[in-house]
Amino acid sequence: MSELILQALYSGVLQGGSYALIALGLALVFGTMKVINLAHGELVLLAAYMAYMVESKLGLSPLFAIPLALVLVCTCAVLVYFLVSLIRKDRELNSLILTYGIGIILTNAVLLIWSADVRSTSSAWFQDAVVVGPFYSMRSELLFFVVASVLMAGLWWWLSRSWYGRAVRAVSSNRDAAKLMGINPRTTEIVSFVVAGILASFAGVAIFSYGVIQPAFGHALTVKAFIITVLAGIGSIPGVMVGGLLLGIAEALTVTLASSALQELVGMALFLLVLFLMPNGLFGAKARRG
Amino acid sequence: MDWNCIIRSKLKLAALALSLTAGVASAEELLVGAEIPLTGSLARVGSGMNEGISVAVEVFNKTNGKHTIKVITADDESAPAKAIAAVEKLAGQGVVAITGGYGSNNIGPASDAANKLGLPYITSGGVDDSLTERGIKTFFRINNTAGYRKAMVGLLADMKVKSASVIYSTKEATADLAKDVQKELTATGMTVGMHAFDPAITDFKPIINKIRLQDKSEVILMAGYENDYVGILRAAKVLKPDVKAMIGVWSLATPKMVADFPDLMPSVYGTALLPFPAEFKSADGKLFADAYKKLYNKEPDYLGQFGYVQSMILFEAIARAADKGTLKKGGVAEELAKTDRETLIGRVRFNDKGDNINFVHRMGQHQNGKIAIVWPSDAATGKMNFPGVPW
Repeated sequence: MSELILQALYSGVLQGGSYALIALGLALVFGTMKVINLAHGELVLLAAYMAYMVESKLGLSPLFAIPLALVLVCTCAVLVYFLVSLIRKDRELNSLILTYGIGIILTNAVLLIWSADVRSTSSAWFQDAVVVGPFYSMRSELLFFVVASVLMAGLWWWLSRSWYGRAVRAVSSNRDAAKLMGINPRTTEIVSFVVAGILASFAGVAIFSYGVIQPAFGHALTVKAFIITVLAGIGSIPGVMVGGLLLGIAEALTVTLASSALQELVGMALFLLVLFLMPNGLFGAKARRG
Repeated sequence: MDWNCIIRSKLKLAALALSLTAGVASAEELLVGAEIPLTGSLARVGSGMNEGISVAVEVFNKTNGKHTIKVITADDESAPAKAIAAVEKLAGQGVVAITGGYGSNNIGPASDAANKLGLPYITSGGVDDSLTERGIKTFFRINNTAGYRKAMVGLLADMKVKSASVIYSTKEATADLAKDVQKELTATGMTVGMHAFDPAITDFKPIINKIRLQDKSEVILMAGYENDYVGILRAAKVLKPDVKAMIGVWSLATPKMVADFPDLMPSVYGTALLPFPAEFKSADGKLFADAYKKLYNKEPDYLGQFGYVQSMILFEAIARAADKGTLKKGGVAEELAKTDRETLIGRVRFNDKGDNINFVHRMGQHQNGKIAIVWPSDAATGKMNFPGVPW
């Protein structure tokens, strides 16, 4: 039994890292602009399809798709920003409808270009088993867990130490006060969308390398990212990591100790429980003050 | 020339003109609706079925000589409400019957709507027993859970294994099949471990680990879809459970899986109508294969074959009803009910609930980049590689 639980914890941690990587971009934009980008999953998916293109058409490792994905996904992210910025009234609510629509357009564009077939890497290197004692994983899972951890640490450093990072936090905290301090909120918001695009690019290539992709997959990614963002608390980057790990471990333990059919249910129950007990999330503003 | 002669020749001319006019009238273009998921979660399978329907139109129009069929396609977006709307839209456009449908949860309400509109509905995309238990006289289905169950259980009987673990998606069709298989295997004295999974799952390692450490079964049965199989087989390749075979159902023993996931497929079993590369021996099969390759420039897969068979059966029934003048009087459903013919999927004959009573699937195995039919023995094109797993 202990071997089962140890493997479940390990799988949960790796899965949690993947979830956190997907959620980071959404959490950043949510924290900065109070905009829930419901097209975030489709942006991640777009990067995943870039990886598919690079592997299937050029015969290169999916990792070589990262520069291409960065250009395409960041451009799309900036376009989403410009469309959102056109909203003059009730931006928080109307942006939900707008980004949901953008998500549908992107899903159908992916369907038209790459068809509805299931895609995944054919590289054996990514799928080879890495066995350390009682722990089993694919090489790609381990690799992208490390990448996710580095990106999260980098993002945390950027937000807390760099000028632009501080500007993002200032705009997030009080847009008008930030303006008075000489910060251009528009530029700051574009920067946060671009950073979200960078994170989505890495997440997409990661998903293609250890999972499978399909055009309709983007919406599920957005939902997962949203759950983690709410679990974490608005604007909390360490919270996203903790939220992702918590969800990943809870799901893996549910499969091991109960039934795999309950995995998604447990995730949603955890989400509702945290919302009920800690409405600001695990690391939300009030919790931090407390 | 006397008057009688003139009248006789004019009557002959008039009769000839009438017969020509009648000929033209009977060779009308008949409209058929195709309600299919072309977007949404079922887009992949819907597109596959749509290819088969298009091939059926091509072959029917080329070979019938009297009637031509025109198909109007409506995307049901993989959603039940949209499926009903698609059927109603097609009815408004004057179709005489519906072919298509995927997913029992979409087919149920869509075929109900078709029945209320008096339109026959034929499908191969839903195997849930409740679809035929409704007793709708306009509903027809060429495949069913029983056919898949017989194939899986038959293969296991040939393997002479004593224990199996079933990993199945909680979707209706896969869950029903898994439970049916469990019931039948348990009745034969086998030990069966059941592992349901949510369709949203991406990491199957915890499930495979349970099978490896707790179940310790001889074989793993998988009831899911392409993305699930890839996840399960990858997890199994990492954890390497001590099993003798990995056996799935639909969407697994296909040319697409051979091409896209060659490292995951060796020795894996799945339901398959034909070996790969496909060998079409019948005249109908050759017509289908030629038209499919002409239209899509690729090897036909099982979705295309099912879509083709269901549509050809429907088109032929429509043609017979048109000849009898019963097209608008329920004649299509009556003609469908009388169907009894050899097809690419075997003999098709419907019972009074509209189910194909003859449907039994075959089991194929991935062997050296090809697919060999290994069950039943009378249809086998290769010997079973057992025990054998991809790792």
